[in-house]
Amino acid sequence: MKTTFRQIFRQANFVIGFSIITLILLVITIYPLFNPGSPLQMIGQGTFFKPGTYVNIYDSLDTSKVYTLRLDDAAANRIGKKLLPADRETMRAWLIAFGLPEESVQIEYTDDLLQLWWNSYDENVRPQGMTSAARKAAARVDAKLAGLYNMESLTITQPDETTGEPAQKMTVSETDYVNVSDIANVRVLPLGTDNFGRDTLKELLAATATSLKIGLLAGCIATLVGLALGLFAGYVGGIVDDIIMFFANLFTVIPGFVLLILISYSIGQESRGATTVAVVIGFTSWVWTTRSVRAQVLSLRNRDHVNLSKLSGHSLIRILVTDILPYIASYVVMALILQICSGILSEAQLSMLGLGPKTTEVPTLGLMMFWGMQYTAHLNGAWWAYFPVIVMIALISFSLNLMNTGLDQVFNPQLRS
Amino acid sequence: MKGYSRYFAKKFMWFFITLVFAIILNFVLPRLMPGDPVQAITGKIAAGINNQTAVQKIYREFAEKFGTDQPMWKQFLLYLRNLIKGDLGVSFQQYPRPVSDIIKSAALWTIGLQLPAIIVGWLIGNLLGALAAYIRKGFDKILVPISLFLGGLPAFGMAVTLLVLFGITWKILPTSGGYSFDMVPALTGQFIASVIEHYWLPFFSIVLISIGGQAIGMRSMSIYELNADYVKYSRFLGVKDRKIVGYVFRNAMLPQVTGLALSIGTMIGGALVAETIFSYPGLGSTVLKAITGQDYPLISAVTLIITIMVLVASFAIEIIVGIIDPRIKAAQAE
Amino acid sequence: MAKIMLDVKELSTKYITRFREDVYAVDRVSFQVEEGKSLGIAGESGCGKSTLALSLMGYYFAPLHYISGSIIIDGKTITGMAPDDVRKSVLGTEIAYIPQAAMNALNPTQKIIRFIEDVIQAHDSNMSRKDIYDLARERFEILNLPADVLNKHAVELSGGMKQRTVIAISTILSPKVLIADEPSSALDVTSQKMVIKMIFDLMRGGFIKSMIFITHELPLLYNVTDDIAVMYAGQFVEKGGAEQTVFDPIHPYSRGLMRSIIVPEAGTREQKLEAIPGTPPNLKKPPSGCRFAERCKYAYAQCYVSDVAFTNVGDGRGYRCVHQMDRLKEVYGRD
Repeated sequence: MKTTFRQIFRQANFVIGFSIITLILLVITIYPLFNPGSPLQMIGQGTFFKPGTYVNIYDSLDTSKVYTLRLDDAAANRIGKKLLPADRETMRAWLIAFGLPEESVQIEYTDDLLQLWWNSYDENVRPQGMTSAARKAAARVDAKLAGLYNMESLTITQPDETTGEPAQKMTVSETDYVNVSDIANVRVLPLGTDNFGRDTLKELLAATATSLKIGLLAGCIATLVGLALGLFAGYVGGIVDDIIMFFANLFTVIPGFVLLILISYSIGQESRGATTVAVVIGFTSWVWTTRSVRAQVLSLRNRDHVNLSKLSGHSLIRILVTDILPYIASYVVMALILQICSGILSEAQLSMLGLGPKTTEVPTLGLMMFWGMQYTAHLNGAWWAYFPVIVMIALISFSLNLMNTGLDQVFNPQLRS
Repeated sequence: MKGYSRYFAKKFMWFFITLVFAIILNFVLPRLMPGDPVQAITGKIAAGINNQTAVQKIYREFAEKFGTDQPMWKQFLLYLRNLIKGDLGVSFQQYPRPVSDIIKSAALWTIGLQLPAIIVGWLIGNLLGALAAYIRKGFDKILVPISLFLGGLPAFGMAVTLLVLFGITWKILPTSGGYSFDMVPALTGQFIASVIEHYWLPFFSIVLISIGGQAIGMRSMSIYELNADYVKYSRFLGVKDRKIVGYVFRNAMLPQVTGLALSIGTMIGGALVAETIFSYPGLGSTVLKAITGQDYPLISAVTLIITIMVLVASFAIEIIVGIIDPRIKAAQAE
Repeated sequence: MAKIMLDVKELSTKYITRFREDVYAVDRVSFQVEEGKSLGIAGESGCGKSTLALSLMGYYFAPLHYISGSIIIDGKTITGMAPDDVRKSVLGTEIAYIPQAAMNALNPTQKIIRFIEDVIQAHDSNMSRKDIYDLARERFEILNLPADVLNKHAVELSGGMKQRTVIAISTILSPKVLIADEPSSALDVTSQKMVIKMIFDLMRGGFIKSMIFITHELPLLYNVTDDIAVMYAGQFVEKGGAEQTVFDPIHPYSRGLMRSIIVPEAGTREQKLEAIPGTPPNLKKPPSGCRFAERCKYAYAQCYVSDVAFTNVGDGRGYRCVHQMDRLKEVYGRD
C-alpha cells in the first residue's frame, strides 16, 4: 500500500494533476474568507462591467487631503484616454483626404496624430471626395479636442439650504490628486461583473465549488451504483447478470444526455436544486462503470482465493467485499475520477440548455456559461464573463484526466514509457 | 457465415428492443411530471384569450389529442399510432406548425454537421494516437497533454473559443447560423458557399474535441498491441516492419471502432450543445429554444429523434465491427 | 565429424530497463550444435534461457542489446550484419523461433495464409500467392495439419492447433536451426505429445537441420534432445550428453537441479527429492566470483573472488566450477 502511494506520487502526470486540483480547492476555500458575502449579490447596476479597480467618485471628492502634482504628460494622457478610436478614425480619414500620405497618419500615437491635426485642420477646407457628413464629423472631433484642451478648474456646487440657489462648494483643478488609500470606497473587481452585475470572480469561485460538489456527488452515485451492479452481475452471473446487462446495454445505446434532458425537464425548474441535478446525473451515468467493473470481476471470480472463500461458506457480501473489491479498488478509483469529471461536464451541458439548477440559489459553472451566452457576452467582448469559466472547466477536467493517466501508468505497467 | 447472421440477428434484435424502450421512456417520463400538463399547455396557447368557452374548447381539444382522459395504455397506443404516422404533435411556440416539420430540417443540419465532424475527428485522433505510440519520445510527450486537454474540454468551450478568435477577433468566419441570414435556402452556388463558410467553426470545434479523446484511447491501444506476442514473433520471422505496423494498427483500431459505438451518444450530446453557441439551425438550437419556450411536444420529439440517431449510428458501427473483426465471428461460434 | 550447424562463441547480451539499469541476462555463452543434433537448455525460471533464445536470433531490438561474441550458422557469421540483412537473409531461413506463448503468437485478425504470405514475401518478394499457398498446403499435409487451417483466423483455432500451426509457420522456410522456447509447457499432455512428435517429424523430414529446445522440464529434455546444457544466472554451468548430464552431473548446481526432480527411470524410486536453498543472484549486479557460490554447499573463499572459466573435459562435456571434476565426484560420493 505504502509503496503504491509512493509510486503514484512519483508519477509526473499524477503529481501535476493533483497539484492543480489542490490549488483550485485551496483558492475556493480561502478566497471567501477574505471576501465574504453572497456570490449572487448583484452589486453592479448594469451588465458586464469590465475588470479593474472601481474608485468611488463621491468619496474621492470628499477626501480631506488633496495633493497637487505637476506632471508633464497629464494633459496628453487625458486626451489620449478620451479620444475614442472612432474619433481617431475620423481624424485619419480627413487627414488622408486632405492629401497626407497614408503611412504618415498613424492613429495609435496620440501625440503625432494631434500634431498633424493642429498643423493641417481647417474647417473651411473641403478635401476632395469627402461627404459633407464626414466633414461635419471632423468638425465635431475638432470641437471636442478644443474642449479637452480647456484646462479650467471644475466647480462643484450644492443647492443652498435656505435659498435653494446653487452655491459653490469646491473647485477641482486639473493638477489635483487624491491618494487611493485616502478614499473610503475602492473596490477591485478582478474579473468585472456579469450580466446581473455580480462580482464575476467571487461568483466563479463559488460556482467552481458547487460544480465540484455536483461532480463529486454525481460521480459517487454513478460509481456506487455501477460498482454494486457490476459486482453482482459479474460475480453472481446467471439471471442476475442477464437482467443487469439488459439494462446496461439498453442505457448504453439510449444516450444519457437525452435521459438527462427528459428527466430534468420533467422535474421542472422550481424543484431543480444543485443536489437534484447531481442525483439525476449520477443515476443516468452508472452504465459505463457497471460494464467495466463486471468485466474485471469476471476475470477474478474463478481465482483460487475466491473459490477458497466460497468453499469456506463465506457470505456473498463478504466474498465481494474482502476477496474481490480489493483487487479492483485501483480500477474503481480511476472510474470515480472519470465519473466526477463527466459529472461536471454534464451539469455544464445541461445548464447550457437551460436545464441547470435553479438560478436563484447557487451559481454553477454551467449556469455562468449559460447566462454569459444568453446575454451574448462573447459577441460584446465581455471575455471575463465566460472565458474564465471555460478555463476553470478545462483545468478541472485536465487535472483529473492527468491524475487518471498517472494512475493508469502505475497500475497498467504496459503503458509505461 | 452462420456466425455472422447470428451476430446480425442478435444486434438487430437489440436495436429493436432498445428502440421500443426509448419510445416508452419518451412517453412515460413527461407523464410522471407533477401537475396537469394539458392545463399547462392550454394555459400557454390560450394566453391572451379572454373568452372562457374558447379556452375550455382548446383544453378539451388537447385532452382529446393526448387522450389524458383515457387509461395509460390507451394513451400509449394513441401515441404509437401518431408516431407511426409521423405525427409528433404541434409546436406550442410556433403554433400551429407541426413538430415533424421543424424537426425534419433541424435533423438534416445536425446530421450534416456531426457525422462528418465525428468521423474526421475520429480518423485524425486515431492517426495521432497511433503515431504517438509508435514514435514515443518527444512527440508522445507533447501529444498526450494536448490530447488530454482537448479531450477534457467541453465542446461548447471549444466552440466559444473558436468563435471569439476566428469570428470576432480576426473576423475570418461568420459567427452564427447555418447560412447567411439574408438568404433563403436554395440549391444555388451562392447559398452553398455561404453554408460552407458557416460550417467551419462548428465543424472544427467538434473535430478538435473528438481528436483529443480518440488520440488518448488509440495511443493506449497501440502501445498494448505493440507489446503483444505476435509482434515479437512476426519480427523474428523476418516480416517487414511496415507490415507489422499494419497488423498493430488494424488491431488497435478495431476496439476503437467499438468504442465509438459506445461513446457516440455522449459525443452527439456534447456536439448538440456546441451547436447552440453558433445558433446552428440543428437539433441543439431547436432543443434549447424548445426548453426556454416550454415547448413540450418539440422537446419530446427532439429527444426521440436524437435517440434514434444514436441508435442507428451505433447499430451501423456494430455491423461494421462484425464484418471487419474476425474475433466477433469466433466469439459467436463458441 | 558432422557439419557444425550452429557455432556460438562467448555470446553476451543485456537488457536495458526503463530505469537505465542493465541486466546482464546472457554472459559469455559458447556451444556448438551439429547437423541432425539437438541441444536442450535447462534452468530455473529467470536464469536467462528465454533471453538466450532471443539472443541467438542475431536480431536485437530494445530492450535487448548485443554486447559481444559471435554466432555462426552453417559457416556464416551473422553477428555484425546489418539488421535489415539479418531480417531478410537470416531470420526464418537460417534460424527460426517458436515462442513460449503460442496462444498469442499469431495476429488474431489475420488469416493464417495471409501471415504465411507476409513471412515468405519478406524473404522472396517474387513468389506468387498461388505458389505460397501450394507450398503451405503441402507442408501442412506432411505435418498432419488440416489444410483448411490456412483459411482460418488464429482466434478460430484451439490451443494445441495454434501451437502446431506456429511451428509449421516457423519452419515454412526450412531453417537450418530451430529454437523452440518451451513450445509445449502451456499445453495438455496430448497436445504436448503431438507437438514433440511434430518437431521430430520436422527433423526427420529434413525441414530443419538442428534444434535448440528450451524448457524447465528436465525429464522432457532427456527424452527429446541429444545434448543438454544447464544454465544458471545467465551462464552455462554445465554441458554434455543428455544421459551424462542427467545421471552424472558435474556442477553442484546441475546436481542440485537433477536431484530436485523425478527422472522416470529405473532405480530412481528410492531417490530423495531435494530443493536447492537460496535464490539466484540479481543480474543487474552479478556477483564477482562464481555466480552460484552463494547457494553452493561446496563453496570456499576463492569462489567469491575470481571469475570462473568454463572447463571443457572433452567429448562435448564441460562445466564452470573452480573444483576439479574428479574432486567434485569424490565429494558427491561421500554425500
